[in-house]
Amino acid sequence: MYRYDEFDATLVNERVSQFRGQVARRLAGSLLEDEFKPLRLQNGVYLQMHAYMLRVAIPYGQLGSTQLRRLAEISEKYDRGYGHFTTRQNIQFNWVELKDIPDILQDLAEVEMHAIQTSGNCIRNVTSDHFAGATADELMDPRPWCEIIRQWSTFHPEFAFLPRKFKIAVTAAEHDRAAIRVHDIGLHLKKRGETIGFEGHVGGGQGRTPVIATKVSEFVPESEILDYLEAVMRVYNRFGRRDNKYKARIKILVSETGAEEFSRLVEAEYAAQSPHEKIALPVTEIERITAYFSGPDLPARPSRSKAFDDARAADPGFDQWASVNLQPHKHAGYTSLTVSLKPIGGLAGDATTEQMMVIADLAETFGHDDIRVSHAQNIVLPHIALDDLHAIYQQLDQAGLATANESLITDMIVCPGLDYCNLANARSIPVGQDIQKVFADPAYQRDIGKLHINISGCINACGHHHVGHIGILGVDRKGQEFYQISLGGRADEKAAIGEIAGKALSQEEIPAAIKQIIETYRSHRLTKDERFIDTLERIGHTPFKEAIYAAD
Amino acid sequence: MPLIKNNQIAENIWTYIPDDEPPTTESHIVLDLERFLSERQQQDISNRALAVRLAPADDPERLRPYLDELDLIEVDFPKYADGRGFSHAQLLRRRYGYRGELRAVGEVLRDQILYMHRSGFDTFSTTRADLSDVMAALDEFSLSYQKAADTRETVFGIRLKR
Amino acid sequence: MTSVRPKLKPETPKAVTAWDTQTGQTVWMTPDGSWSLSAKDLGIFVGDAAEAKLSAARGQENKVTDPYFMEVTENGTICGRETLRENIRSNGPTVAYGKAGQTL
Repeated sequence: MYRYDEFDATLVNERVSQFRGQVARRLAGSLLEDEFKPLRLQNGVYLQMHAYMLRVAIPYGQLGSTQLRRLAEISEKYDRGYGHFTTRQNIQFNWVELKDIPDILQDLAEVEMHAIQTSGNCIRNVTSDHFAGATADELMDPRPWCEIIRQWSTFHPEFAFLPRKFKIAVTAAEHDRAAIRVHDIGLHLKKRGETIGFEGHVGGGQGRTPVIATKVSEFVPESEILDYLEAVMRVYNRFGRRDNKYKARIKILVSETGAEEFSRLVEAEYAAQSPHEKIALPVTEIERITAYFSGPDLPARPSRSKAFDDARAADPGFDQWASVNLQPHKHAGYTSLTVSLKPIGGLAGDATTEQMMVIADLAETFGHDDIRVSHAQNIVLPHIALDDLHAIYQQLDQAGLATANESLITDMIVCPGLDYCNLANARSIPVGQDIQKVFADPAYQRDIGKLHINISGCINACGHHHVGHIGILGVDRKGQEFYQISLGGRADEKAAIGEIAGKALSQEEIPAAIKQIIETYRSHRLTKDERFIDTLERIGHTPFKEAIYAAD
Repeated sequence: MPLIKNNQIAENIWTYIPDDEPPTTESHIVLDLERFLSERQQQDISNRALAVRLAPADDPERLRPYLDELDLIEVDFPKYADGRGFSHAQLLRRRYGYRGELRAVGEVLRDQILYMHRSGFDTFSTTRADLSDVMAALDEFSLSYQKAADTRETVFGIRLKR
Repeated sequence: MTSVRPKLKPETPKAVTAWDTQTGQTVWMTPDGSWSLSAKDLGIFVGDAAEAKLSAARGQENKVTDPYFMEVTENGTICGRETLRENIRSNGPTVAYGKAGQTL
């Protein structure tokens, strides 16, 4: 993974000093909250229901063991013994105190981490495929370009006071695990002959007005991508709406201007860039950064592992886990494994101090120090030898980290909701737990197969409910929590916004409603292998809607 | 309202004349963009030193033919959250080659001043920061990743030279 | 965004709530204008007196951040449209967290 040189380190340290000064001025009263707020947001500091919340950046979901251990230490020393992994591959600490945050940032800086631009109306964390650099199905590793875009966007002086937040995602696989089509800018790495470049999508997003991004460019060569991003950002900064917070994202600019006119504006700005304005990133710099991601050097192994096969035969729990939580690796004899943070009835996306330490140790011992955070709020160890899997599984199991449910119905994306978040209208965590309990039986889950349920506690859609195969949105009706079900959303390369199924239901009615949906699927599927989303797309929504509301 | 230029308090010789008012005895006047464009050659305007105040929604390219005759362009930040002025500055400096004074006015926060300076502003007129604030703010970061309107070498450039 | 709460009528009994600036803990103004970590200690205010209390709170940025009115009954029980939210602010998350939230 990338390692800071002295310049990256200097910048992060200077940022810590700057924020320390800002906190001191705030606590002394010489900086009003109104002025302090944009500054603290650009350092990832929120004021939530019960406490300050700190959102630490995990660039493109990449962590090393040293870093995960530091996050664990922070969770113990400054928080309440756990952290929450988010849908943008970051981590959140829910109980920090403002006076401690400069010290927390100092502790993070020591391990090459920060909380820069994880909130505020600026360019946020660049997210990517959690299997990058390991998966068999990618064209190339997207992480070097994620790192380059991270550096280009960090402390960019022109784009710190945008109309609204700005989110970029990068993928290099045809099967999109980075949800690029619901990002402000989504980039798909491609090749034309020998030239590397990007297919560019702009104006995707969820929230109040969900929309799938528009493809604005078939191919921007890598030598031009930063200048192209500058052009998009400048058009957005200049022309994005500033009159209405709910109409200020680039997706509104694209839809109100029209995709064609928007593209023309970007092309015009790009064409107007004079030579001395061009970023002209040296090829040597691209190569320097790329070199950090070339490892690890994995010793050749046979594609079959006797140890693995024997363990599967002997240990049914391991066998189930291995059949669900593994992703094919580009090298024979290896795999990428998912550490599920979705135990049945547990806290979706959370890991305790001890659990983080266990994962860090496993990554160090078996995983070449390489750890990823997936936007589905799980952890991935991307480079694991099949031979080592059983030993790893046993340790994960002891720590409550071996739930065999990756991409199954109980592997839900769940936002923190009203239990934590000031913006929420309803709780989401207990809703997810109740649904999990209905489907707790592993055999039932495996029978249902891959299915994404996404739950958001408000219209801001941090739980990505719009792009869940089944989406659940918490709403407030005169102070009571109600939940709206939507169907048919997708976050992948066939991205789609889900359609509301009918009137909102109470929290008590939700688990049974989900069960109705699942049983409808099971009774209509052509074969056991036809996935929920495929059955839904084949037969339409009506049978499902009728099943949910049959009792009415 | 102190004017800060080159790490010093500077004397402000310019007077902003609101659209609905005529200038009186001022020798150096600042006009809104539309008024400048329509009145710059009128009697009683053209005999004075003229400057322009750009609003966030203005297009700085409209000043392009007049940059050589302008000693001052003000860019207004009516609300600090409205960052359009940063793009105005970058365009004026880097694309259109403006060499005169570029002044940030309005709700300019101390903690925006470094980014403003990097975007091309060389003077600041605000009630939200004083001289020591400005000097401290400009010193907070010794490096930058990106090319901008200031002459600072980028991190990418420094790396290349090694 | 934190304190865009529904507007309450002048005669509605109100409490003033906010967050401790240093620690982020939720706090409630007591009858004498100081601050408590417990909603049980909240003061009940109405009309102009309430507005004055809120104004005073806004002037104490070193101590508290983002004060706003919370609806209460005459006895100081949380009530109204925001009952669930304010109860959660008062009692903490409705789900156990950290080690206590594990299902090992």
